[in-house]
Amino acid sequence: MDIEFIVDILPRLLNPLKVTLLVSIISLTLGTLLGVSLGMIWVASTPRSFQRLLLNSYVWFVRGTPIIIQIYIAFFLLPKVGLNLDVFWVGVVALTFNSVGYQIEIVRAAIESINQGQWEAAGSIGMTQRMTFFWIILPQSARRMIPPLTNELSNLIKASSVLSVISLFELTKAGDAIIASSFKFAEVLLLLSVLYFSLIQALSAATKYLETEVFNFDKADFESGKTFGQIY
Amino acid sequence: MLLALDIQFMWQVLPKILAASWVTFQISVLAVVLGIILGLALGMFRVLGAPPIQTLIQWFVDFVRGVPPLLHIAFIYFALPSFHIQLNEFWTGVVALTIIAAGYEIEIVRSAIESIERGQREAALSIGMNERMALFYILLPQAGQRMIPTLTNELANVIKASSLLSVISVNELTKVGNALIFEHFVFAEVLIQVAVMYLIIVSLLMWLSSWLEQHFSLTQPLQNSPISHFSEMQEIR
Repeated sequence: MDIEFIVDILPRLLNPLKVTLLVSIISLTLGTLLGVSLGMIWVASTPRSFQRLLLNSYVWFVRGTPIIIQIYIAFFLLPKVGLNLDVFWVGVVALTFNSVGYQIEIVRAAIESINQGQWEAAGSIGMTQRMTFFWIILPQSARRMIPPLTNELSNLIKASSVLSVISLFELTKAGDAIIASSFKFAEVLLLLSVLYFSLIQALSAATKYLETEVFNFDKADFESGKTFGQIY
Repeated sequence: MLLALDIQFMWQVLPKILAASWVTFQISVLAVVLGIILGLALGMFRVLGAPPIQTLIQWFVDFVRGVPPLLHIAFIYFALPSFHIQLNEFWTGVVALTIIAAGYEIEIVRSAIESIERGQREAALSIGMNERMALFYILLPQAGQRMIPTLTNELANVIKASSLLSVISVNELTKVGNALIFEHFVFAEVLIQVAVMYLIIVSLLMWLSSWLEQHFSLTQPLQNSPISHFSEMQEIR
């Protein structure tokens, strides 16, 4: 193990690390905007409506195909429809497309986890469906979405490594380039693993903190564990 | 027209795509089966072993789940030859996927064992069984039932992860699709076929998983709250 070499290449990986973080964070943000709106449409639609069928098949497609295929589709399809994007933005489109599929599920689960009694109580004091949704249901479910969304960010960081196949110069691609020029795979891969690992560990620590300290307004609800969604 | 697909070409390459799907399926099943063996063994040590061993296994799990699968695959690909283990691409892929699958399966085994009500273990100990007997005769049979749907789901995840083996030239579905794209310069036809192939395989497994979940219905619901389930939902994409 060549420690000097590791220290030597570390600065060369900082820029790619920034690309990895940037592509993941932009995708998460766009994905959350789209995911929350589409998730709300899912919840608001009736079971056999057209919107729900469409959203269900979208989610089914995203969860049923590997991300590498989705990246290839974005990479080949976008120029075909006249969008000649930079490879970075192709990556953003692909990751966002992927992430939205998972986030619709997160939003749906969070909204549905709010007890039915909340709807009934709001209705009984004269609120309309829409008022109930925006003032009662959404604020409560937003709190429950935070941990899975932070978790989604670490999934996206891992998924962004696959963007190396379309030559986006992010962490994995940069590591590959160094391996190809120096033939020292163990050092490079170890360093890459440590970088990804610490990034993701930091994020899951943040998730834990958000979950237990910041978004935990009534600890009893969470501590009893099982009563999730039933306490109200 | 974007969607003017060359149906004849699609028929022509279908046998290749099907053969490649079979390779994908074989690799994934092998990886999951080997992963289960490894995952069960390590998962039991994770529950019962000495504290240092538990910590080591937890590190392994965190490492596998915290690092992109692409890096594990690259590492195995480069590292095996330097240990003088010469495998062809297929078996290199199996080894890499096995390690990835095992990392996730240890967690499945652990959470299944820990989801068995505490009283079961205490009751077993109180009638004079030792820890090991309680694990093998009481906890594992009950936990095994609970693991089956999750493991089927895991197989679907591993099938998706196997697409990454295309970067080390394993001739599985993604690689064959890629080769066809660059050979014939048609992408829509090939990508649609490849995506549909994955959708079929993954959907069948997901469907099987939820069928098994109903079939092996739990006597007691899992005690994890949805929140803690979410935050442990580190997926392979």
